[in-house]
Amino acid sequence: MSKVVEISPTTRHEGHSKLVLKVNDEGIIERGDWLSITPVRGVEKLAIGKTYEQVPKIASRVCGICPIAHTLAATEAMEASMGVEIPDDAYLLRVILQCANRLHSHALHDILALPDMYIPGTDTKINPFTPEEPVRSVAKRIQTLRMIGQTIGEIVGGEAVHPSNPRVGGMYKNITPRARAKVYDLAKQAIPLAREQMEFMIAVFENYGKRDWAEMCGREVAIPKDLGYHQQGYMAADPLYGSTSLDANPGWDPARWLEVRPWDWYMGEEEITLEDPAYPVGGTTKAGTKAWPQMQACTGVPLYDGQPVEVGPRARMSIFKNYDRKGAIGLNIAREMEYMDSVYKMIEAADAVNTSAPVCADVIPQGDGEIGWAANEAPRGCDVHLAKVRNGKVEWFSMLVPTTWNFPTCSRALTGAPWELAEVIVRAYDPCVSCATHMIVLDENNKLVAQKLLE
Amino acid sequence: MEYLGQYKAVYKAKSGCEDILAKAQDGGIVTSMFAYALETGIIDGAIVAGPGSEPYKPEPMIATTVEELFASRGTKYSISPNISLIKEATRSYGLDKIGIVGTPCQIQAVRKGQLYPIGLRDVPDKIALALGIFCMENFPYQGLFQMVEDHCATKIDNVTKMDIGKGKFSVYTERGVNSQIPLKVTHKYEQPGCHVCLDYVANMADISTGSVGTPDGWSTVFVRSAAGEAAFNKAVEAGWIVAESMDGVKPGLELVEKLATEKITKNQKYLEHRAHKEHAALKPLRNPYI
Repeated sequence: MSKVVEISPTTRHEGHSKLVLKVNDEGIIERGDWLSITPVRGVEKLAIGKTYEQVPKIASRVCGICPIAHTLAATEAMEASMGVEIPDDAYLLRVILQCANRLHSHALHDILALPDMYIPGTDTKINPFTPEEPVRSVAKRIQTLRMIGQTIGEIVGGEAVHPSNPRVGGMYKNITPRARAKVYDLAKQAIPLAREQMEFMIAVFENYGKRDWAEMCGREVAIPKDLGYHQQGYMAADPLYGSTSLDANPGWDPARWLEVRPWDWYMGEEEITLEDPAYPVGGTTKAGTKAWPQMQACTGVPLYDGQPVEVGPRARMSIFKNYDRKGAIGLNIAREMEYMDSVYKMIEAADAVNTSAPVCADVIPQGDGEIGWAANEAPRGCDVHLAKVRNGKVEWFSMLVPTTWNFPTCSRALTGAPWELAEVIVRAYDPCVSCATHMIVLDENNKLVAQKLLE
Repeated sequence: MEYLGQYKAVYKAKSGCEDILAKAQDGGIVTSMFAYALETGIIDGAIVAGPGSEPYKPEPMIATTVEELFASRGTKYSISPNISLIKEATRSYGLDKIGIVGTPCQIQAVRKGQLYPIGLRDVPDKIALALGIFCMENFPYQGLFQMVEDHCATKIDNVTKMDIGKGKFSVYTERGVNSQIPLKVTHKYEQPGCHVCLDYVANMADISTGSVGTPDGWSTVFVRSAAGEAAFNKAVEAGWIVAESMDGVKPGLELVEKLATEKITKNQKYLEHRAHKEHAALKPLRNPYI
């Protein structure tokens, strides 16, 4: 007889989400639903009728962790719709921004993921905030890496959070030679730190993968060898930066994308029948409470070739670099392996950028209503923005953000794991939930009528 | 000395560099301080009032070399919104130690921005040296243009120097034609915002300077903060600035005090006037020094 347990809210990631899990008598998940319960932002609706300059700025406000990805994706979606070609040096500045964003975001994920993990060779869980070694120097290294990412974002993007410098047509300002030297020095400083951090984190994750049990709720929970395995495919537009509909070989195909309602994809109404007050923090939801995932999910369910797909570091690594580790640990390791590339690419781009070249296109056509899309490889995966611009005004705007893709995929990956470890799997996706929220429409009986209407 | 703010020392000073003095308004203190600070790494860039699109229309610029700094020598009696660059200096210019020069109100803005960095993320700790200049009032460019072209009957393109002193606004040209008009003629061209200002000698700057109180070719310098004191003393030691005691200097601090009192009491009266109930729509401003 299966029982239902709900973990709400899930912790140590961005945004608000919850887990509704059907488990068997051994506590193994038979069916898991991971859903966003973040209130709707309404950005896609707000964008309609605004100018193409405003919309990327509004879109970036959807979140504070990867605003760079949203700014770049929305800007490039406008450019794709209007057919704007940006100067090479503007592209290089955007690449630096992209790498800076990835560097700081991955470092941030490390601090969120570490408390699940053990110091290798011991049964002590890592507390990243302890003043004791070896954890103290790791925490400091993470902060330094974040400082470097944010400072470079600030120099090139004008602002570390919600960058002001990118614009439709390129960038507002080029950087000065002194600023470029600073970017270069900071990136150089990051090389040894990023390498040490990558090696440390991989060792910690590998150690977790080899362990037989993890302590949860005051008991030893067996870790399955296939923790977080799923059978879904991967989707990535580019190993580092992104792709738009203007590219000769676009990395993403809108014809293969379909968005369906959570109604069709999530569980119906369930009563919680299992509770554990020892679950951190504050216990799981009380037994007897009702949960209704298909109504409560605040996302659409995007499908690629009719199936949910995984996006993110492992998708990029699998598609472009033949990486083949599966499961939650494999995903975490893939993320760590992206550190070095983001630092080296930053240096390469800083090397190549001409600080006295123009960084904005001479001519910006005002758009004729054609659909344009841009897929930006945000730290958490492929962030696709679609737009139609006519006479300088945005007619239609849609954001297909990484965690929206990952919600249904990760829900599949929960099957077979002990429910106590469900959050470990969720955290491996480095979820960033707030941008992954879409609007749904209810009728007078609270039945879901349409989601596509208001996208 | 109620209206002169707190200061550690006051000097009669001028630049030790002939190049700077040649084009300086008075003692060339701001240019010399920034030049010394740039050379020695106290700052890595300075926000100054550079040349703009029209003659004597200042435009803020970031000088990262002494050559760039020299382009901004001399006073332009119009508004240069230097604070507008303060964030950009830390961004695409990549500066870590900023020098900024401004009128008393601008220095107040800098300090307020350091206290409440709204829209100035990561900027407060990067202000290394804030130099203030004495300021009685400021003119919008159109007002200045009219004063020069109409009242002084001089084409503004031909002007080599403008000066306010001894109750007169003076315009000097290359051909040697000098025009002077009494200041009471210029009052109506002043910015209305200047009439609520209760600061004459940039009380919140690290160092504040102006011509009042010292003979021609010299400046009065108030050294106010520890950072200002360290930088000023080193600049004097290195010979960039010649500083002498204010003792016995005529007209001396009495004149500075007199003008400061004049400005502040006059503006306080205006503030009270605005606070009167017939002008209830105009809210009284709080005295920032109480």
